[in-house]
Amino acid sequence: MMSRNSMYTNPKPCKHLADYKLRHGLSGYNLLQEQIRTTPSGKSSVKNHQTEIPRCCFCNGYQKRLYLCLICSSISCSSHTLLHSQCENGHDIAVDIERSELYCVLCCDQVYDPDFDKIVMLKHLMDLPRSGNGVDVSAGRRSSKRRRLCSALELDLKKTKQLVSMRDLRAKSCYPLGLRGLNNLGSTCFMNSVLQALLHAPPFRNYFLTGQRNHEVCRKRSSDRLCLLCDIYVFFSAVFSGDRTPYSPAQLLYSWWQHSANLASYEQQDAHEFFISVLDGIHENGVKARSPIKDTGECHCVAHRVFSGQLRSDVTCMSCGYTSTTYDPFMDISLNLDTGNCPSTDLANKSLKPSDNTYVSTLLGCLDLFTKPEKLGSDQKFFCENCQERQDSVKQMSIKRLPLVLCLHIKRFEHFPVRRMSRKIDRYMQFPFCLDMNPYLSSSVVRNRFGNRMFAFEGDELDTSTEFEIFAVVTHSGTLDSGHYVTYLHLKDQWYKCDDAWITAVEEEVVRASQCYMLFYAQKMLYYKANEDLVCQPVSPRADPFLPIAGCC
Amino acid sequence: MRNSVNRPPTPDAVEDQEKEPTLQEIINIKMIESGEKEKLMELLRERLVECGWKDEMKALCRAYIKKKGTNNVTVDDLVHVITPKGRASIPDSIKTELLLRIRAFLASAAL
Repeated sequence: MMSRNSMYTNPKPCKHLADYKLRHGLSGYNLLQEQIRTTPSGKSSVKNHQTEIPRCCFCNGYQKRLYLCLICSSISCSSHTLLHSQCENGHDIAVDIERSELYCVLCCDQVYDPDFDKIVMLKHLMDLPRSGNGVDVSAGRRSSKRRRLCSALELDLKKTKQLVSMRDLRAKSCYPLGLRGLNNLGSTCFMNSVLQALLHAPPFRNYFLTGQRNHEVCRKRSSDRLCLLCDIYVFFSAVFSGDRTPYSPAQLLYSWWQHSANLASYEQQDAHEFFISVLDGIHENGVKARSPIKDTGECHCVAHRVFSGQLRSDVTCMSCGYTSTTYDPFMDISLNLDTGNCPSTDLANKSLKPSDNTYVSTLLGCLDLFTKPEKLGSDQKFFCENCQERQDSVKQMSIKRLPLVLCLHIKRFEHFPVRRMSRKIDRYMQFPFCLDMNPYLSSSVVRNRFGNRMFAFEGDELDTSTEFEIFAVVTHSGTLDSGHYVTYLHLKDQWYKCDDAWITAVEEEVVRASQCYMLFYAQKMLYYKANEDLVCQPVSPRADPFLPIAGCC
Repeated sequence: MRNSVNRPPTPDAVEDQEKEPTLQEIINIKMIESGEKEKLMELLRERLVECGWKDEMKALCRAYIKKKGTNNVTVDDLVHVITPKGRASIPDSIKTELLLRIRAFLASAAL
């Protein structure tokens, strides 16, 4: 039952539903279709042509859940459905009038039939305005996702032996390969922290280590110009050389300064800004060197191949249901902290007062917030193509395509341009080590709009993996102006704290309790493959900044 | 034909009760027929989502299902168990807002 995409396996029909289908097929459903009324918000209910309100045929009540018998169309309330079934043999399947959901009277439970949901969804599609809706009935296309994953694995499998042979004989610590302190060159912990994460992003790491970046023939270097990609390659080689003395990434820093002149200074910078800027630099370098981008519009530079995904944004008109959908690429997702505050008052029976907020923010809560439908304010009225006027609308974000490595950025710095001040949000946020992104995919989000339907929506990618494993956490402590970044790396089931030049092994509780700022998750398969490649070596007698660990390996 | 003048007519008590709708019923029916009830239901749904009530109910359902086991719970079970808790935890502000709307409706429908 716990298959990867268990949402897509339809529950088996009960005996009674199966019997009904055998005897009546789709005729009952088809007759019902005309009576289904849909709303722009995705709800569907059964309203027959009577002008009177529907009432239970036994007790005349109208206030409980009412069920319409699929065979004889008589209506019973929840107390009397069984009675109806006893009176009329075989009248076991009914429809909840309010919700258009199938109900088995004898099982006293909701049942599911993809054929039924298809008919309901078709009604929705018929009712929605022609020129564009948030739902396409096209068969889920086998996207290039498979291909991307395969190419990522190629980055992995190629020349793993070469990795091992790069081991420097000087290296004798028990730490995994690629663990090396980085010296602080003057408030550069923002850079060091992100670099540690990049060093261990599986496909990214493999690209640089398996010699795909051939810096000998780099045109820029031969003409004595700076090349960011080459400098990164040199950096990777140095860190994975096996030498454990802390490394100074001065060349890389200088190279990056050239690219992001506006950020070049000795001041503390934002780690996330650095991350975006470095990826941008890689992209620019890569684009010139490579052949033009293919028709798919996807860039094939290493930065995009590893980190880029696609977001979907739906804006729905509240009057007619017309939905305008746009797709935008992303290299990372910035999330607002979920605080559990709601616009209206707190729930009546909670003993918590607003000031006494013990709600714990979680990553899943933030992701929920990110994909929650958001009512656009009256000053942001959306011009509806169908209504031909500005209407109140609802916006909803979802993820169309996941990247190989997912970077989640928690917005902890709040800027108030009017008051001209900024502050840092220190609120603790709990995050998981294993993350399933399924509920945040466009297919899941769009599906949920129409209730509990068994229906394949556009882009339901049945063979896509949505499971991710964490491999790096960049944390920040201190204030906006004077703070410190530290990265925790998860390698071979052990957590390591990377604090500039000092690397220490730590317990996972320490990581869980830390104040995360950027979270790096890799697709599960890639993560485990990458960990296999890291080789461990015997203990070193040398004095180095690492604290010795007894009994490792 | 002999009849007793003093004998009162047989009361159609049962029939009367069926025929005479209560004020509550009259209002309810009027609201449904005019479509106001549907609008109020939409408003209520919106408010309950906004204040986190729906999420809390979802969590209660999950907890109940976890306790009983996924194969031992029906929709009817859930409805019976969750309904009282749900009714009890509606925020007062929402109740007030709806009452005001109903009152406004009554005024406009001249009931």
